[in-house]
Amino acid sequence: MTNIPPPPQIEFTNVTKTYGTVTAVKDISFSVGRGEFVTILGPSGSGKTTTLMLLSGFETATSGDIRLAGQSITSVPSWRRDQGIVFQNYALFPHLTVRRNLEFPLEMRGIAAAERRRRVDRILERVHLSGYEDRVPRQLSGGQQQRVALARALVADPPVLLLDEPLGALDRNLREQMQGEIKTLHREFGMTTICVTHDQEEALTLSDRIVVMRGGRIEQIDTPEQLYDRPASRFVANFLGEANILSGLDVPALPEGPVPVGSVAMIRPERVRILPCDAAPAPDAGRRQRVAGTVAGVVFAGPIRKYEVRSDSATLSVREHVSSEQPVFAAGDTVALEWLRSDLRVVAE
Amino acid sequence: MLVSPLSLLRRPQWLSLPAIAILFVAFGLPIAWLFLDSLAAPNYSLAYYKAFFAQPANIRVLFQTVEISAIATAISLAIGYPVAYFIARSSRRLRMALIVLVVIPYLTSLLARTYAWIVILGDQGLINNLLRDLGIISRPLALIYNRGAVYVGMVHIMLPMMILPLVSVMMGIDRSLMSAARSMGARPFAAFWRVFMPLSLPGVRSGCLLVFVLCLGFYITPASLGGLKDAMLSTFIAAQATSSFDMARTAAAAFVLLGIALLVLALFGADLGSAAGPGGTAPRRGLLARLLPAGLLRRIGESATPWRASRWKAELNRSGHASRIPGRLLALGAGLVITFLLFPGIVVVVMSFSGGTFLEFPPSSLSLQWYRSFFSDPSWTGAAWTSVRIAAVVALFATVIGSLAAYALSRSGPRLRGAVTLLLITPITIPVIVVGIAVYLGLVQFNLIGTMSGIIIAHTLGAIGYAVVIVQATLANFDTRLERAAMSMRAGPMRTFRRVTLPLIFPGILGGAVFAFIHSFDEVVISSLVSGMSLRTLPLKMWENMRHQIDPTIAAVASLMMLLPVIWMVAIYVNWQIGNRAARLPDGGDNT
Repeated sequence: MTNIPPPPQIEFTNVTKTYGTVTAVKDISFSVGRGEFVTILGPSGSGKTTTLMLLSGFETATSGDIRLAGQSITSVPSWRRDQGIVFQNYALFPHLTVRRNLEFPLEMRGIAAAERRRRVDRILERVHLSGYEDRVPRQLSGGQQQRVALARALVADPPVLLLDEPLGALDRNLREQMQGEIKTLHREFGMTTICVTHDQEEALTLSDRIVVMRGGRIEQIDTPEQLYDRPASRFVANFLGEANILSGLDVPALPEGPVPVGSVAMIRPERVRILPCDAAPAPDAGRRQRVAGTVAGVVFAGPIRKYEVRSDSATLSVREHVSSEQPVFAAGDTVALEWLRSDLRVVAE
Repeated sequence: MLVSPLSLLRRPQWLSLPAIAILFVAFGLPIAWLFLDSLAAPNYSLAYYKAFFAQPANIRVLFQTVEISAIATAISLAIGYPVAYFIARSSRRLRMALIVLVVIPYLTSLLARTYAWIVILGDQGLINNLLRDLGIISRPLALIYNRGAVYVGMVHIMLPMMILPLVSVMMGIDRSLMSAARSMGARPFAAFWRVFMPLSLPGVRSGCLLVFVLCLGFYITPASLGGLKDAMLSTFIAAQATSSFDMARTAAAAFVLLGIALLVLALFGADLGSAAGPGGTAPRRGLLARLLPAGLLRRIGESATPWRASRWKAELNRSGHASRIPGRLLALGAGLVITFLLFPGIVVVVMSFSGGTFLEFPPSSLSLQWYRSFFSDPSWTGAAWTSVRIAAVVALFATVIGSLAAYALSRSGPRLRGAVTLLLITPITIPVIVVGIAVYLGLVQFNLIGTMSGIIIAHTLGAIGYAVVIVQATLANFDTRLERAAMSMRAGPMRTFRRVTLPLIFPGILGGAVFAFIHSFDEVVISSLVSGMSLRTLPLKMWENMRHQIDPTIAAVASLMMLLPVIWMVAIYVNWQIGNRAARLPDGGDNT
């Protein structure tokens, strides 16, 4: 897959936002290509929501510049931006029918009644809600409300779509279904999409790239795979999935050389194998590292089994796919843990 | 059917019986009686109603009553809406402070507030004196005893009752809806007009209904501040009830007034219940949309389409920001209205310390002479003591009976709860003069006119209404799973109530008691009817004083009565703080 970056559609340059003495966003810069799906991921208080507020025009940056297709929009109020937003709680107008909700952005853009009707019908069909025009939001299920919110954000065909924790209110099954839906819509409409979430799974599934934020700064920007496989910091490693930090263990020289000061070696639990303590070494033992340990806990979680193994001063977690070829260990068993040295990662402390 | 105590606990619905019984005996029966009287029972004819409408003077007064009430309601809405908007949009802390500032005048004696306006607007009053001292006028302006003064006084009394329901509805409007509207291209005003305003209409409706119906029956302020031409039907009814013994004619007039109140409630409040329910298919149309022919508004909106389209293109991605002017005007307006609400009270309190032989503002010298005169005059102190005793007993009765009823209703189905609540608050939702006439008639039967017991019964009726509403609101937030938890730990129903339910709803019960006390302590319309000239409560003594001679002692009395809400607010606040601390204690440092 060739990866020629499209021209930037959205560009943040040294953007800072302070509220009184609190700095919500510190000097962030990133750009998003046309048609790209970028997720801003971070724990609460990381500045991700502020970033979205700046992007949507609800807040104005204290310093720095935000550009849309090359044009500065730093101090353009939200009602003069051509954008669609799906709000966390959908923010559907409770006093208006689905049709009137969807017509709202079209009306504000001065689109005549006949054309409004046509476009609303088309988008409703697209989100499988034809026939629901005359309902009011409270007569719809959560999933349907989510679809209406998406349709309302897309009906005016904006070049930019912003999603604020779009799936937070849905249950697990519906969430997965809607993730697929959003992906399809994105492919079909091709609008540049920025999604803000604290849900790492959502971020990994949906995005072309992920911006990980922490304490108002950008921690790392990368594709989901790179981010998961090569996290830049211990924070990113922990935030996206589980990570075994090997600080208490004697880590032999890595392929890249010794672990530098201020960094730690990390390995994902699914890259660790758990073996009986007397297992014969593999033929390529030179490429592997093996440590002895005692099982401290076992959790059966359907397709996988999670072990907590105590070894020297560290406790490592291991995930193994449940399989009939695998021996099952119990708490107290002495085991050996083994991994490929090339699977070790060095991350900033 | 015999009801054993045990089944009483299992089916707590019975606990609302005392409240229903007292309402039925002291108000329900008499009003039925009154109604039959007005129909000239046992002959049954509309003669008294015909006689009422045959007199042009009656029709004029009736029309005037509706006109004054409607205009006072409209002014209250026009002033109250922006203030409520400002309060609802304020930060948490500012909002609390502003609500307290709106509630203080609400809890302040009506008579004290009305008296304050006499002091401010009178010929020798604050404004005229000020203008004369400045040399702007040589003869006093006619500021009082006219329609304008009536509106000033009534709006002042009614504003809190307009603002509070508006604030509560507006605070329930999700702010993100306005953001959503803006993100779709709606300018701030369009977002307000298309989204916020329609959603605030339930508050507008309940505020207007409340104020309008109260205005219909409330005659103290119009009678004190208005001229002879500004008489209200309720003034007329009150005068008739005490002077003549022709009950049937009075009854007919009272039912005309009640009819108007019920008509308005039915017209505008009919779907109050259904609005809360989850049913209903199409959204309710706004009041404006209902009044205008369907589609007209839509067509007007549609004609702006080309203009919108060109503006959208012209302004797309243009820098700018929302004008700060509307926000500042709003803050300024809210400040002015709050000043308007508090100013009369402040004037009276300051004046009460004046040292001259007249009341002056600002006082040229300070003294406590009017307070001395109050405390040394047994007719004042006697009236005050009577009022305190009555109010204390009323508060006790109403709180116990009302809390039991509220508890019972919280355990009933929504339909029964709605119906019984509506029944129990009748004495505070229909024009007070009608309640007064009915209660008067009832007490006559029991020979209780002019007795303390009579006044206590009369006040308890309304006080129960307040207690029920407030305790019910507290119970609505009470998690009944806590009771089940207690019972799972082998606590019996009684012990569960005493150890779990009661402590948790106690702040609400205390609030109910405060409102019951204030309702009784401040009541003048019903008291004036049932006191039979022999018993003087403090408001009655003040009312008499205001009508006959303005004794400056009344300033001291009014000031003392204004102290009351402040004491109550502090009491409620302290209780709330203690409650908070108790709630916070178990898990130590929360929110840290």
